[in-house]
Amino acid sequence: MHRLHQLVRGILTALLLAVSSSALAAQATSTNAIGGLRAYWHVFIAYAVVIVIVLGWVISIARRLKDVEQRLSE
Amino acid sequence: MRQVGVIVWKDLLLELRTRERFAAMGSFAVLAGVLFNFSIDASLVRPQDVAAGLIWMTIVFDGLLGLGRTFHLEGEDGAFQGVLMSPAPKDAIFLGKAISNFVLLYAVALLVLGVFMLFFGLEIGSSPLALLLALGLGVLGFVALATLFAAVSSGTRMGETMLPILVFPLLVPMVIYGAGATGRLLAGRPVAEVAGNLRVLAAFALVALAAGAGLFRFVVED
Amino acid sequence: MSITGVRRVGTFLAVVGLLGLGVVYWLSFFWVSTEASQGIVQRIFYVHPPAAWTAFFAFGIAALTSGMYLWLRDERLDWAALSAAEGGMVFGTIMLITGPLWGRIAWGTYWTWEPRLTLTLLLWFIFLGYFMVRRSTENPEQGKRFSAVVAIVGALLIPFIHLSVVWFRSLHPEPVVVRPDGPLLPGDMLTLLLTSLAVFLVLFLGLFMLRYTLEGIRADLQVRARRAAA
Repeated sequence: MHRLHQLVRGILTALLLAVSSSALAAQATSTNAIGGLRAYWHVFIAYAVVIVIVLGWVISIARRLKDVEQRLSE
Repeated sequence: MRQVGVIVWKDLLLELRTRERFAAMGSFAVLAGVLFNFSIDASLVRPQDVAAGLIWMTIVFDGLLGLGRTFHLEGEDGAFQGVLMSPAPKDAIFLGKAISNFVLLYAVALLVLGVFMLFFGLEIGSSPLALLLALGLGVLGFVALATLFAAVSSGTRMGETMLPILVFPLLVPMVIYGAGATGRLLAGRPVAEVAGNLRVLAAFALVALAAGAGLFRFVVED
Repeated sequence: MSITGVRRVGTFLAVVGLLGLGVVYWLSFFWVSTEASQGIVQRIFYVHPPAAWTAFFAFGIAALTSGMYLWLRDERLDWAALSAAEGGMVFGTIMLITGPLWGRIAWGTYWTWEPRLTLTLLLWFIFLGYFMVRRSTENPEQGKRFSAVVAIVGALLIPFIHLSVVWFRSLHPEPVVVRPDGPLLPGDMLTLLLTSLAVFLVLFLGLFMLRYTLEGIRADLQVRARRAAA
């Protein structure tokens, strides 16, 4: 159950990220435009990578925990 | 101390009689020199400029080749268990192995230097003594780490293939300071410029030997 | 603290950490000001150094607990070392990916042998060796000892590695690294950076404790399996 909560939380964060970076792209000013569109891409990918890798670890631990507890209860 | 001497003597005597490892490592040194020569386009790059780095990398690869089997010989017929059961303290065994490895690899390193000087047209540079010292200190640190991790890798399923992965990240200081010093000396720069390098190489070797001597017992216990 | 206790605290910290991450993201996009010289790409600054510091912290714990394990032979120290090492790899990977992403825009190239990036790369490989050695021994106890040795030697040589890379860099002037913060770090950027660091550390600690719990339960399983077989 708590694993589901964590998953949901993670998905919400990812959605937030997607929404906010597109909102950001829409507000491009002269300062923001350094590096061009590519810069936005890099920021988006970087922030996405953080979430993916962190959640990846979370899910990996959760899955292994479930596995081991299952074997323990047998 | 005496035990260290015994182990060193036994290994070197063995090596002297069979010359197995030295033959393999020596051939590697010469052939690496040949291949490196052919891998460089002299119209784009002055061979003398890159020689120092190539000398050190050849020594590294050669060392991995020859040292990976440090504990192989004994492991084969269970003789290693015999060595371990002896009352000799583990750090003495380690130092003995490390010193005999050092003698072997230093001899090979000198060969590498000679070969590259010949093939790449190098001058002996500003101080042959400093050059020999740089090689010696670098090889000492390398041997300390390689001996410790040879014991580790021998105990794994992958064996010697593990050795480069374990040792390479740790060799960064040795290569940077060693090749740096060698390059400058060969180029004729004053010894004072490389004194700092030599000091760090010495410190590195000391730490590596101490770590090896201290941790070896945890690697070989059963 | 018992395993259940660790698990409870760990779960709490992990949840707080994930929520905190969401907050940091929100602040990073909607609140903090844009840096003048680098523009939008500078925002990677709010995840890259925190990931780096967390990775170094994790690897440090791994090395320390490894040393204590060899000395005291308490299994739980080995669980801690393993968990910390895994965390270090996770945050190290984040650092190694976000760094070049930032560098490509800010300094023109993906990789410049910058001392911290280089050190993280080497630590990453040292701990890759930690895991490889652990898994490739016939005897698992031997594997634990071997990997502890790898972690300790790595930690001992870090100062040398760092010194040498810094010296190497000093000989090869690279494009001047634009400070991510200008001459002084403006207030809101500093606040966000520190908040992000705190969040990353909390997240790491929570997940570290959960990973530790996993090892604890695994050990329990082994004990029961052995008893059942006897």
